[in-house]
Amino acid sequence: MTALLQVRGLTKRYLGLTAVDDLSYEVEAGTIVGLIGPNGSGKSTSIDCISGFQPADGGRWSLDGVDLTGLGPHRIARAGLTRSFQTVRAYDELTLLENMGVAAQENDGIGWLQALLRGGTLRRADAAARARGRDLLATVGLADYAEAPAAVLSYGQRKLLAIAAAMMARPRLVVLDEPVAGVNPTMIRRIEAVIRKLNAEGVALLIVEHNVDFIMSLCSRVIVLEAGARIADGPPGLIRSDPRVLAAYLGKSSAAATAARHG
Amino acid sequence: MSADHKARPLLALAVAVGLLALFAVPRLTGNEYVLALGVSFATMSVLAGGLNLVYGYTGLLSFAQVGFFGIGGYTAALMVTDHGWPLWAGAMAGGGLATLVGIVIGYSSLRLSRHAFAIVSLSFALLCMIVARDWVDVTRGAMGIPGLLPPAMDLPGGLRWRIAQPADFYWLLLGFAVVAHALIYVVVTSRLGRAMRAIKLNEPLAQSQGLNPVAYKLLAIALSALLAGIVGGLFVFYLTIVDPSIFDFYYTETMLIMVIIGGPGSFWGVLASSAVLTVVPDLLRFTTDLRMVLYGLVLILAMLLFPGGLGGWLHRRRVARWRRPRPGGA
Amino acid sequence: MDLTFLAQLLLNGIVIGVIYALVAMGLSLIFGVLEIVNFAHGEFYMLGAMLAYFLTAQWGFGYWPAIVIVVAAAAALGYVLYEALLASLRGEGFERSILLTLGLSMVLQNGALYLFTTTPKMAGTSLSYSNVVVGELRLPLARLFALGLGLAAFGALYLILHRTRIGKAMRGVSQNRSAALMVGIDPRAVSRLAVAIGIGLSGLAGAALAPVYAVHPLMGFSFVFKAFAIIIIGGLGNISGAAIAAVLLGVLESVVTGFLPLVMADALAFVAMILVLLVRPQGLFGRGVRV
Repeated sequence: MTALLQVRGLTKRYLGLTAVDDLSYEVEAGTIVGLIGPNGSGKSTSIDCISGFQPADGGRWSLDGVDLTGLGPHRIARAGLTRSFQTVRAYDELTLLENMGVAAQENDGIGWLQALLRGGTLRRADAAARARGRDLLATVGLADYAEAPAAVLSYGQRKLLAIAAAMMARPRLVVLDEPVAGVNPTMIRRIEAVIRKLNAEGVALLIVEHNVDFIMSLCSRVIVLEAGARIADGPPGLIRSDPRVLAAYLGKSSAAATAARHG
Repeated sequence: MSADHKARPLLALAVAVGLLALFAVPRLTGNEYVLALGVSFATMSVLAGGLNLVYGYTGLLSFAQVGFFGIGGYTAALMVTDHGWPLWAGAMAGGGLATLVGIVIGYSSLRLSRHAFAIVSLSFALLCMIVARDWVDVTRGAMGIPGLLPPAMDLPGGLRWRIAQPADFYWLLLGFAVVAHALIYVVVTSRLGRAMRAIKLNEPLAQSQGLNPVAYKLLAIALSALLAGIVGGLFVFYLTIVDPSIFDFYYTETMLIMVIIGGPGSFWGVLASSAVLTVVPDLLRFTTDLRMVLYGLVLILAMLLFPGGLGGWLHRRRVARWRRPRPGGA
Repeated sequence: MDLTFLAQLLLNGIVIGVIYALVAMGLSLIFGVLEIVNFAHGEFYMLGAMLAYFLTAQWGFGYWPAIVIVVAAAAALGYVLYEALLASLRGEGFERSILLTLGLSMVLQNGALYLFTTTPKMAGTSLSYSNVVVGELRLPLARLFALGLGLAAFGALYLILHRTRIGKAMRGVSQNRSAALMVGIDPRAVSRLAVAIGIGLSGLAGAALAPVYAVHPLMGFSFVFKAFAIIIIGGLGNISGAAIAAVLLGVLESVVTGFLPLVMADALAFVAMILVLLVRPQGLFGRGVRV
């Protein structure tokens, strides 16, 4: 069975610095995969590339067999790959329901003319989007704020909204960029529960995170980057004691000591 | 939502009554001054509405509106006087050409930074004036094309409408303004308008959700150009002359003030401010120079103190209302 | 082709180009340091010319004292302007800066129109009607002085930007704002000086040209848009790029006027700008800020 997301030889250079170096990996449909690595290892850059926000200098990637290389971010989103951002993004002046509505509108087959003529098709599509929006807001626990402008949300709540919005268009793969950074432990558990619930509906997730414990408990597979290259790829148990991973995070001598302790 | 639903029929009623009153004005008074204000309001409100669409909703600061206005004016004048076209066809041709030009300029400069886009739109307006003044073969140069007499307009039902009296122009321009604003209203209250706002509020987020920013920006530009071009085509017949002054910066400054005071992104706000800013300065009998000084001061103060305009203030109020302590906790 | 004619055109072009450069460099400096497009920039050129006119024609000052007074007044005005209006903007939302400076331009321009009417005034000085004759070339003294002033200003600006601490700080902020702030450069002091210098240059340009062209309240209006085009052509925020583009434009305009109808010369700046944006959006000489 071919994987849902296939990345081959992804390369990105910035003025002489190679941020992502010939990176290849796969994400199977319906799985939760973690992407970790020390600062500067190229995690965020690589997902900026595959989601179309940065041009790549080399490599190809595809979703469900459809080649996404070189496409703009909106085309990639329509192909079924959505994402959240490190700087948590929302439409502050729109209500939460409107936020959800925007996230769905390019994917329900309604054209511009239909949108203006306000016929039955449009009304049905809008109703369906509203229903799905309320559903997802309820899943993430924000149902009470459906009619509130997004500006009233706290930081953690904005992260939940971002995850919910990324789900609106029924994507095949959602890429989350540091979903629990800067968030208190209660909220971390809440976000973890939300991710599990969404994954149960069949969506694959690729999660970039610094919080290694979070990744280890949530993901069925973990990919580790260092200096733009993949140094490990496997189930959490193996990764936890992999000497190369330990060396990347802790430095070589501590790595050996830690490996001896856990080995 | 419940508050909105209660308000909607009330709003519709208010609009209907207002329109009825506006259209009845020429029957109630023959005062040409009042009718001239009406024409001015109709024209400027369409220009301001288009600018609001591009800047207030989509977030693109553009100075090109007056260029589309003048292109519409010149095109209509030439089509009617040189080729005998009916007025409505001439005005539509003006709108069509303006739209085409708008799309070309938009498409080629949208990939530039917002600084560069603003400057390019400004230069476009300036180039229009220079071309109008100097391409004498087509535009008759600085003298313009005077003596524009509107032909009679054939209405459905076989009626012929001779547009000669000030009242006629009042109805003509007001009638078009109603159509234009209705069109703008339909767009901004649709998901297209919501998409434009999303792009203005957070473009990368919108892109990550499948929205193509360039397409929506071009839509806003094209629609604003179409409406500005048509109203320009009609307006020059009211003036009975089209000359390079149709591209005057005065129009740009006035429509900008109308948008800023009404609140960028607020449909009704800009409509209201168009009305107020047409009537009040005239009532106060300001000379043009002083009026512009006042506008400039208003602009400066607005930017220093109320950058979000009326819309921003309303938004803060909404947020504050939601943040009040609620029973049961968050 | 008449070489003398061409040489005359070239010379005129260089003079006007140098003046364009003064205005454009000031605009570029302000944009580079504050990320603000100063719509009111042309009005200070106009005010400089107005003040020079009043000083020389109405209040009996000599040419050189008038120049000094105008530059000092313009720089002081820039300083005040920054503190009163621009300091609060702080790079937040560039539409605000455009609209604010546009408002300022409306106030200054229409205020001048109201006070002085559109009648052009000639700042006739002792120089206005004398020429220097070199071979077959006639060089109006007023233009030569304008050229000299411009070149002197170039020199002074270069020295400030490259030899003084605060000048280097300005270049630093212009190239990489966050890095400059991180090494402890005080943004307010740098911005203040940038605005003072920028406005001062604009005023100087106006005063230098007052004896050459007629002075009237709308002269800044047409000028400033050319200045915008010039800084785009040279590269947004690139000061030397602006200077080179300005001189090139001046020369090109002058040569074109000699052989083609006037219309072409006026539109040249904008056509060139559009071409540059289509072909090389970062400007001929590029810069840190992306176009």
